[in-house]
Amino acid sequence: MSLLRPILAWGPVFFGIAFLAPLFAQILQALGVTAPLGLPPIAVGLAVGGTWGLIAKLGGRWI
Amino acid sequence: MSLAATLDAAPDTRAMARDEMAIARRHMTGFPVVMAAWGLGNLAVWLSLWSLVLLGVLPLWAGFLIAIFNVMACYHPSHEAQHSNYALHGRPLRWLNELIGYVSTIPMGLPFKIARITHLDHHTYTNDPLRDPDYGNKAPNWWRAVLGNIAKRQPGRPNVYGAVLRAKIAAGDQAAKRAVLEGMAQNAIYLSILTALAWSGHAIEAALLWWLPKQIGSTYISLFLSWFPHHPMEEQGRYRNTRHFHYGFGNVVALGIETHIIHHLHPGIPLNRQRAVFNEMRPILAARGCRLDET
Repeated sequence: MSLLRPILAWGPVFFGIAFLAPLFAQILQALGVTAPLGLPPIAVGLAVGGTWGLIAKLGGRWI
Repeated sequence: MSLAATLDAAPDTRAMARDEMAIARRHMTGFPVVMAAWGLGNLAVWLSLWSLVLLGVLPLWAGFLIAIFNVMACYHPSHEAQHSNYALHGRPLRWLNELIGYVSTIPMGLPFKIARITHLDHHTYTNDPLRDPDYGNKAPNWWRAVLGNIAKRQPGRPNVYGAVLRAKIAAGDQAAKRAVLEGMAQNAIYLSILTALAWSGHAIEAALLWWLPKQIGSTYISLFLSWFPHHPMEEQGRYRNTRHFHYGFGNVVALGIETHIIHHLHPGIPLNRQRAVFNEMRPILAARGCRLDET
């Protein structure tokens, strides 16, 4: 369990990339929003989800 | 007043205990069919939402609302299993008790064995600031309890349940160790399924049928099973640590929790019989000085 603890500490970042990123991408697609600079929706999702996860990990809160 | 007069005026606690147990025993007989059907039926409805929504038979917004209800309702049948109310250890139907305990809370993503260990500690130490795992739900009013519950789920916040389990493991409790390993595995499976759904193009469905209902339902469970029946969490002792309450929307919306005092007095009585027991037991509870009809 002590081996897992450092990995679990990065849980919010993993969650941001693994779940929030495709969620944001699919919400953008469902709303018909075009990503800036011609980026694919998943790139925007990864940027938003990953950043939000990192903020949650460092700041200790999602909201 | 003389000693003899004082003793005459005092309630006969032995007789009250005898009457209380007689009522309780009448309602503890037989297999709790309603709760078993509730648990497995609720799970079946939640599972069917996935195919109905993904096939376009049911709109996603309707699925979302039903899923929220499923999560709100899923804890109670597992709660009965935590108390071994379907079958005690060593009985032929023990497997069913454990099955309902494990599967009924899948919509909520709640590991059964962790829930059982920490919940039984809650019963043993109700409202004890240091030993009741649910004591962290103490709040001055219901909306502060909701906000507190959301705050507790933020990353890096102290986890009282985790602390209880770590203390048990440190003391050599193998059941607690197994429960934690099981819980971690169950959580990993939950997150893996969410991830797989999300990356296969079903992220919005996964969010609205599972992830968001789990957040909303978990807050509801915490509010109704912990805050409402134990507020203000200042008294301990069998007849004072839990209250009978009214809150405006009725016992059905509370899923039977207004009479949670019966559960703490007699955990072997299934949820669907607690109202009837309360009505029968009310004079005894009043004589015992229980907290009745609080708002």
